[in-house]
Amino acid sequence: MCGSVQFPKSNVCNNPDCDHSKEPEQILLSPEGTLYSYTIHRYDLRPPFDYHKAPYAIGAVELPEGIIVVGRLTTTDEEKLKIGMKVRLKVGELYSDGENAYLTYFFEPVEEVRK
Amino acid sequence: MTESAIVSAAITEWTASGEPTPSLMDRLASVAVEALRRAKLRPRDVDAVIATTTALPFDNPSFITISAQHFAHRLASKIGSHGMKCINVCGACASTAIAFATADAMIKSGYIKTALVVGADNSPRGFYYQAPSVLDADLATGYPHKVVGITNPSYWAMWARRRAYEMGKPVEDIKELMALVKVIHSEYGARNPYARYRKVFTVEEVLKSPVVCDPLHLYMIAATSSGAGAIVVADMERAKKLTDKPVKIAASAIGGPLSNEPAPRLVHFATAGGGRAVRPFTEWRRAIEEAYKQAGITAEDIDIMEVHDTNCFNTINWIDQAMGWEREETDKLIRKGEIRHNGRLPVNLSGGTASFGEAVQCQALMMIHELFLQLRGEAGERQATKKLRVGLCTAYGAYGSYGAIIVEKAW
Repeated sequence: MCGSVQFPKSNVCNNPDCDHSKEPEQILLSPEGTLYSYTIHRYDLRPPFDYHKAPYAIGAVELPEGIIVVGRLTTTDEEKLKIGMKVRLKVGELYSDGENAYLTYFFEPVEEVRK
Repeated sequence: MTESAIVSAAITEWTASGEPTPSLMDRLASVAVEALRRAKLRPRDVDAVIATTTALPFDNPSFITISAQHFAHRLASKIGSHGMKCINVCGACASTAIAFATADAMIKSGYIKTALVVGADNSPRGFYYQAPSVLDADLATGYPHKVVGITNPSYWAMWARRRAYEMGKPVEDIKELMALVKVIHSEYGARNPYARYRKVFTVEEVLKSPVVCDPLHLYMIAATSSGAGAIVVADMERAKKLTDKPVKIAASAIGGPLSNEPAPRLVHFATAGGGRAVRPFTEWRRAIEEAYKQAGITAEDIDIMEVHDTNCFNTINWIDQAMGWEREETDKLIRKGEIRHNGRLPVNLSGGTASFGEAVQCQALMMIHELFLQLRGEAGERQATKKLRVGLCTAYGAYGSYGAIIVEKAW
């Protein structure tokens, strides 16, 4: 087993040097990371994904496990975002259709930005 | 090893996507026959047809027609086939580069002598997306659009912002540079009868267009479009009998995903584990390095480039990767206008995808077509003024699909 980490979970390892001698294990990733980059989307997506309403922010977050994960950010205020800042995982509502609320993961800034 | 060369090339004018007529198969057949006519060949002379599959309207994401995956076979029977080998290739936006490299490898190995490489697309309008389907619910690539709302421009925008950050510059700097790239490409699109957009833009106009996802504005992103192209490739001995200006294929490299690629890749949730390379875009660079090695040349030997600009950041990034120099040098090259037809290193004199829009599964054929014209001195008002010998075409697509083609005058 090579100890390589991947997201999301998979039935096989994605490290080309792995000998695949053991089944992958599920682990919890660190809830905190560093903002690698970000952007703020200004267009709604089209159906059936039009529950993604603009503006919304996307970030790429470097985790201590050595991978970068893309996800939604909690703020679309550019003044509050800066590459290299610490962000923390937060589960929140993406949308609800009256019957169900659909959740996803967000990253939330945990420090004030001095630009 | 046998040498190979391009004998002829033909493309259609790129047009708005979504038009049902003429059918894609009709467009493909017209342009294929035109390329054969220019090579003075008949279908019987072709040993293999290598086609790319098409991006279809994905109103229903789980629906992919089997017919679109078999363009080579359908084209062969439509233009008349004596049993030519039919190969269908798919590699996102890099599809035709990979098809071209496949044809080249088959010729160089001696398996065939003449190939027809074709592609056609009528891409859906708007943001591309990958979505989970009943038959293929892949967590890694099927869900990011659905769960996070990420689009292809989101990745490009994040790369552009990161480049500015790593260079210690404000994001406005890369934004202005991308606008300038669009302006320069548009000057050549205006001179290209095959380009969909022939308007010359100003930096102000580009920066006034709506923000899609900062720092990317609408006019910095290629519109999905429709187009078709065909290229005849043959072994050098035959090519020299068919044309007095054969364009040698000095290299054709196929690049794939690298697990240690440090930059988040379309359309994945995350980079892979197991260690990361220091330099972002290692997998882009790798395809080019392989091509340089095949051709036995270095970056200094490149006289002209056609690079895959799905958005204006990619022109900048391809120059970074192809030249392998400090990124500051790329900025200077563009700001001084040295990528124009009379510059030190002309880039995208076709007008680029910025002027064509993108017929996804056909785009590399458009770029190789331009290099073919430029090396032969047949590019009219777009013709580079410097003496040309070697040209580089780079193609880039989602999922880690790349192609790097080097062509050279053989007369």
